[in-house]
Amino acid sequence: MQTSSRLLAALALGTALVSVPALAEISGTLNLNGATGLIDMPSGDAQKDATFSFSTSLIGPITRSTLSFQFSERLSGSFRFQTWRDWDAVISGDSEESDRSIDLRYQVLKEGKITPALTIGLQDLTGQGLYASEYVAATKTFGEKVKVTAGLGWGRLGTDGGIGAPFGSRPPVDPPGTPNSDQWFRGEAAPFAGVEYKVNDNWTLKAEYSSDAYVLEGEERGLLDRDSPFNFGVEYQRNPYMRFGAYSLYGSEFALALHIILDPKSRATGGIVGKAPAPVEARPSRSADPEAYDGGWVTQADAGPILRQNLAKRLAADGIAVEDLAYTATTVQVRIRNGRIDAGSQAIGRTARALSHVMPASVEVFEIVPVVNGIGASKITIRRSDLEALEYTADNASLLRERVTVTDAGPAPAWSLGDEELYPKFSWSLRPVVRLSEPIEGDIGLRLSSTYDIAPGWVLSGSIYKEIASNRELSTSDSDLPLVRTDSSRYNTFGDPALEKLTLAWFARPAENLYSRLSVGYLERMHAGVSGELLWKPVDSQLALGAELNYTRQRDTDGGLGFDEYNYDILTGYVSAYYDFGNGYLGQLDVGRYLAGDVGATMSVDRVFANGWRVGAYATVTDASAEDFGEGGFDKGIRVTIPVNWALGTETRRGLDLNFRPDGGDGGARVFVDDRLYQSIREYHTDGLDPDWGRVWR
Amino acid sequence: MVAAVGALAKTSVAKLKGQEAAPATQAPSAEALRAELAKAGKPVLLVSSKTLGQTGFLMVSDAKRDVLTWSTPDGATFSQRNGVLIQTRGLGADLMSAEVPSVGQLLQAGVPYQRVYYFLGADDQGTRRTYDCATSIVGTENIDVLGRNHSATHVTETCTRSVSGGKITNEFWVEGSMIRQSRQFVSSGIGFVDFARVID
Repeated sequence: MQTSSRLLAALALGTALVSVPALAEISGTLNLNGATGLIDMPSGDAQKDATFSFSTSLIGPITRSTLSFQFSERLSGSFRFQTWRDWDAVISGDSEESDRSIDLRYQVLKEGKITPALTIGLQDLTGQGLYASEYVAATKTFGEKVKVTAGLGWGRLGTDGGIGAPFGSRPPVDPPGTPNSDQWFRGEAAPFAGVEYKVNDNWTLKAEYSSDAYVLEGEERGLLDRDSPFNFGVEYQRNPYMRFGAYSLYGSEFALALHIILDPKSRATGGIVGKAPAPVEARPSRSADPEAYDGGWVTQADAGPILRQNLAKRLAADGIAVEDLAYTATTVQVRIRNGRIDAGSQAIGRTARALSHVMPASVEVFEIVPVVNGIGASKITIRRSDLEALEYTADNASLLRERVTVTDAGPAPAWSLGDEELYPKFSWSLRPVVRLSEPIEGDIGLRLSSTYDIAPGWVLSGSIYKEIASNRELSTSDSDLPLVRTDSSRYNTFGDPALEKLTLAWFARPAENLYSRLSVGYLERMHAGVSGELLWKPVDSQLALGAELNYTRQRDTDGGLGFDEYNYDILTGYVSAYYDFGNGYLGQLDVGRYLAGDVGATMSVDRVFANGWRVGAYATVTDASAEDFGEGGFDKGIRVTIPVNWALGTETRRGLDLNFRPDGGDGGARVFVDDRLYQSIREYHTDGLDPDWGRVWR
Repeated sequence: MVAAVGALAKTSVAKLKGQEAAPATQAPSAEALRAELAKAGKPVLLVSSKTLGQTGFLMVSDAKRDVLTWSTPDGATFSQRNGVLIQTRGLGADLMSAEVPSVGQLLQAGVPYQRVYYFLGADDQGTRRTYDCATSIVGTENIDVLGRNHSATHVTETCTRSVSGGKITNEFWVEGSMIRQSRQFVSSGIGFVDFARVID
């Protein structure tokens, strides 16, 4: 007879899924390249801001798997892994060829009443050039059902029906892997065009005229016949998350596409799950019960342990541990470790509510210090009377934020009461793991991890990995640089099972606004040694500065403890600047010496979402020559974190991390170290707390 | 009709468990149900949502001045200021806070006022939606709340959002100065929820 809120929430999800119209239709749709477009051609449209998509398409003997992200309203990027089968049909050699490519697209004009949407795109801008092309495409919507696209393509998109080379001839790619900026918009240009007809919310018909002659696949390799420039297709949007397409291509081939479309801004589960918080406990008014406000209780010897116990009991329900409790008659400082709630603000709100139940009425000031890796990340000071007054007030989130201060955590008060159950403490886990090196290449296995919290800030941790299945092959590196990364397939093959990590880490707060980390041991599966880091980050600063110094030796490939195979050691180090541009855009610049001894800089940009989604790209340029760098010319990659709570709705802080480094070579490589400082503390600084501060009342 | 409420609750729960719906004859009579609920000697609010197919009898978990918070056993809450919904928690798409009219305001037909809803929107960012509202009195109606007859003033509150033209219509049945029964908007994810004060 009682309402089940979980069922309510589950049903709300069901109705939400049904009632939401196919949002992707309002924006552009995806093409066989996983980019916004028609069938094989691009269009002038963009996806809805922050759309993250994974597309797989089959075009006769060609497979394309693409990750795309609408990085801002106008800018989007893709990372593609393309495979050609029957590669040896005409020319003998490998039966399969694969290539990775990166695209960037910028929507110069948004569609207006008269003006079309206009997009400039660079396809495969850093690869071997197998797929390199540039285009300008314009798309105009007529009524609610018809979209017409016309564009001009260069490179591959200028190979059929060319109208001449307006910007001169196209030089060859040299060296492969560098941005092919010399080629951009050079050579023969050719027009392409197409029409989309939206039958209803689910079905769309498409037709296009392609300017791609498929010279490589047709004339050169004999993989397919291009009999006609016309392509036709039908697409079905099953729900906002899934879209299918079937096409007739070039008068000879049949193609299929599947797109999985995710919106990092909205949880797949419709809302934040988890039980309602306990109400704020109201104190009696001072005039009605002046004795309740008497501070005499502080002198009672057993007050501390009892208060700490009561608080810990209440917070345990939210997965929050009480590291330390210190109080006077009027102020309490509690240091908490948030183990489960994905929003820092919510963990703070829950702690404040619990304090209102536990602390005697004379305590007016609540100081909450979130602790990460044993060190205080910040101090949030809330007045108890504000909490009481605003609980049911309209716009209570903004009103409370105006009254709350966020400052440096400072040291724990000397008289604080720690919890003997937290240190030392051993914990372990055994979890299935997916390790992808490409969208469809990698291995799955089991990881046994354990952590021993020795004392606040001192952590001994390790992990062992055992592979279960893999589709990676053993390859031999032909890199001229020290083989600091390109032997990874040897580590995969020979080190099974492998001791991935075994480290002792020490985290500390040397001074106000300063954070430090020292890690010693087997830092990662290829390198072991010492890594030290110092970070300067005031709690309300958009800018942070850091320095890192590592001395490492390369480990044996068998996943054991030895260092005999490579006899390689190196001192690496970086100075870093971090900047929060607002709206979730983070930039980082690292300058220093990399693992292979090369000197250079890494630039990275990430878009982070309050719910834990993170999509970023990075590029490293060093003094290693493009040839030495390995296949890639320079190091670049894409990293994605998808939080489990977003996908499944369970209250957890875990996430799925993916890191794609196309043609990852030995140049620009860094040692992997756990718990780099900036990421771990930022959540509790103002730039991490404020975007979803509203959850303080959740 | 009242028996049907109990039956609805059973039916929907049974459906979700993948079982055959319990026969309606097993549902207790309204009187028996009311007697059972009255035993605790505490106020009871009947909450139901047609879209969600869920019904439940809720008890007060927090009372502060003019705000009562009603909670389900598994941790969802509805907070009302004199019967007007101001917050929900644990529903997923929650109403985080709201600026709402008083009962007196609801009874002043035609006098315009603003209503402001606060939600957590895309990526958990605080989202505010302001509506221009006015009420109209439909008339005095006899309503049945779990076998008990109440004479109440039926008030319709119409709210429009100037930005988008979005419209919300809340319904209230006011008995004296108390909202006996209502149908109020929660959020776009949850829609409207029906409330009836079964035991005072």
